[in-house]
Amino acid sequence: MVGNPNSGKTTLFNALTGLRQKVGNYPGVTVEKKIGETFSQHGRPIKIIDLPGAYSLAARSPDEAVLRDVLLGRRADTPQPDRIICVVDASNLERNLYLVHQILDLGRPVIVVLNMMDVAAAAGHRIEPTKLEEALGVTVIPCEAVHGKGILELRLAMSRADLPLARHRWDIPAPIAAAVADLQASLTQNDRRLPLVARAEALLLLTDFDTVRVAGSTPLCDRTRETLAHWQQRWEGEGTDWSAMLIRSRYDAINHLCTGVLRRTREQGPSLSDRIDALLVHSLWGWLFFGAIMAVLFFSIFTLAEYPMNWIDAHVAALGGWVKGAMPAGDLRDLLTDGVIAGVGGIVVFLPQILILFFFVGLLESTGYMARAAFLMDRPMSKVGLHGKSFIPLLGSYACAIPGIMATRTIENAKDRLVTILVAPLMSCSARLPVYLLMIATLLPNTAVPTTTKAGIMLLMYALGTFGAFGFAWLFKHTLFKSAPSLMIMELPPYQRPHLREIFRQMIERAWLFLKNAGTIILGISIVLWFLTAYPKHPDPAATPDAQIAYSFAGRAGHALEPVIKPLGFDWRIGIGLVTSFAAREVFVSSTAVVFNVQKFEGGKRANVTPVRTALRAATWPDGAPLFTPLVCFTLMVYYVFAMQCMSTIAVVKRETNSWRWPLFQTAYMTGTAWILCFILYQTGRAFGF
Amino acid sequence: MSHSPFNLRLPLCQLAAGATGRICEINGDEGFAQRLREMGFGEAALVTKISGRTTSLCHVNGTRIALNHDAAKSVLVELLPPGAH
Repeated sequence: MVGNPNSGKTTLFNALTGLRQKVGNYPGVTVEKKIGETFSQHGRPIKIIDLPGAYSLAARSPDEAVLRDVLLGRRADTPQPDRIICVVDASNLERNLYLVHQILDLGRPVIVVLNMMDVAAAAGHRIEPTKLEEALGVTVIPCEAVHGKGILELRLAMSRADLPLARHRWDIPAPIAAAVADLQASLTQNDRRLPLVARAEALLLLTDFDTVRVAGSTPLCDRTRETLAHWQQRWEGEGTDWSAMLIRSRYDAINHLCTGVLRRTREQGPSLSDRIDALLVHSLWGWLFFGAIMAVLFFSIFTLAEYPMNWIDAHVAALGGWVKGAMPAGDLRDLLTDGVIAGVGGIVVFLPQILILFFFVGLLESTGYMARAAFLMDRPMSKVGLHGKSFIPLLGSYACAIPGIMATRTIENAKDRLVTILVAPLMSCSARLPVYLLMIATLLPNTAVPTTTKAGIMLLMYALGTFGAFGFAWLFKHTLFKSAPSLMIMELPPYQRPHLREIFRQMIERAWLFLKNAGTIILGISIVLWFLTAYPKHPDPAATPDAQIAYSFAGRAGHALEPVIKPLGFDWRIGIGLVTSFAAREVFVSSTAVVFNVQKFEGGKRANVTPVRTALRAATWPDGAPLFTPLVCFTLMVYYVFAMQCMSTIAVVKRETNSWRWPLFQTAYMTGTAWILCFILYQTGRAFGF
Repeated sequence: MSHSPFNLRLPLCQLAAGATGRICEINGDEGFAQRLREMGFGEAALVTKISGRTTSLCHVNGTRIALNHDAAKSVLVELLPPGAH
């Protein structure tokens, strides 16, 4: 399944397969092939591959290269597809037919799906699918994937054993025809391509300036490359712009094709989206709107989430109390209350806030605002040497750096892409949210503190990460990855009413992922950590919990680490949290819950499981000075803004850059910066008497 | 051919918001020029500027295309009289 970006391929794919792949209203949601299965009308299984969107087979970025290589059978891991479904955005027929035109050259059975027929009709485009079918000679199906219209017809067409082959003829411009024939012969003889594929590939080689190679692509043989170089030299000498000539002749053929197929019933004036854009990308109003959205986001994270959070808090505490009452005292009871309930409960409480964040990200993605934010950001991004397109991965990293880093595949320039990957984890992701919230709650225990102050501190942390990302991007672009400023071209999709069902579905998916993590990784770490804090047992059975934890494995390891982090104001117990949260940042919260909950506080009586923030406020240094002073809370937040504390991100960067060099470099520079900044902050703060 | 002041050629970045022009030349990086043409942003296409001084937002063939300053500088347009669209 192929088509231009944002033509509705994934919506169609989901409708056919019953899968729930992510869809969104911005180009580049799908950056890797997705495979699903559906059944023909006769019950035969059909495997469908959803490919990333592309404007042309001449790939300019890694995501487009996936499409080209799968279609040409260059990928070792994917057999060449038997049939190609070309999804066409009917409201922009000519441009979408350009890719179809290239694909028809491959000589494979093709089904053209005219998607978004309703949008085209609303824009005053009258399209005659039967005439297009006659002109091309392949099956053409009008469709509205969002409303489920045309799916049945498509399934019927897919079930046909005898799909017609394209009848369309296209004359390659005379000055280029001889070169195409030469290349075609060489590709057939030396590179063992089928004749039709060879012709299509020959055309492609002429328009492929900087071939983006992806893993699995086989390079061409020398003979073919020599032929290509020979022709290119000759044309350069003659001053023939062969690429422009090829494109123009394709568009001439398409325009000829469209004369009988497409009729515009009214003049094309500025659409509603254009009018909204005149405001939302305006150099003043646009920024005000952007700022307002961010302010509403942070404000709602604090205000709306409070009720469900209190509810979860109360139930976690009640559960802990119930277990304490129902079970005899002993290690098993402690494991359940201090390890499992404190650890997992401490983190689950942040679920409402994470859901609110995902709701907002979903709104931005679904309405089409994402691409506008990238447009606005182009100017500040150009100051650091990147362009606006790099902002989409960065914005996505506010939710999670992993999809953010995957989204860099839409960036054409390899150096820009690497810089974006390197700085993306500096954007504060949802896993940092629990850490910030816990620190803010510890910092400002007073409920009388206005929400705006709390939201303001949070906004400060997000701003710090964002400026950090920009700063490092500037540094990298001016040292390691010097290159000429790259040119940006980006399509802005039309605005859409947000698909609330899709947003809620994504929120549920994220909630499930979060709870699954809490039930597996975080539960596991909490149990192991409890064990490490409970054993070996202190020789004196009457030892205080303080003495016990200091004597335990975790205590000894924490003490060994303390000299490194003490200059930042952190003690060995925070050190345990820092080390365990290498697995994922939110583990810090569950770890501190375990480490600080095994201690005695509240007037010498062993307390029940309490919210972590209460336990933290009571924590002290051995000399009785409070541990979590406002300065330490602040320093710890800054540490989490900058430090690379996520194994999954390291793994994704390794995969995307194909080496261990960049993830290791990234970990070193981020954690190094975190340490240095925290050192300066804490020591300066101390000097000023905080 | 008319000889009005509208035959003026200027880079796309200098086209005023709301004005329409006809693309007459694309300079610079050939890979980039090719992609512009492939997206229907080629010579003879009509382009209306929606917004932007440094980053340009343009309306071409029913789609909105954003170009950064360096990209918009490399596209030359011929200014058309208002209403020509």
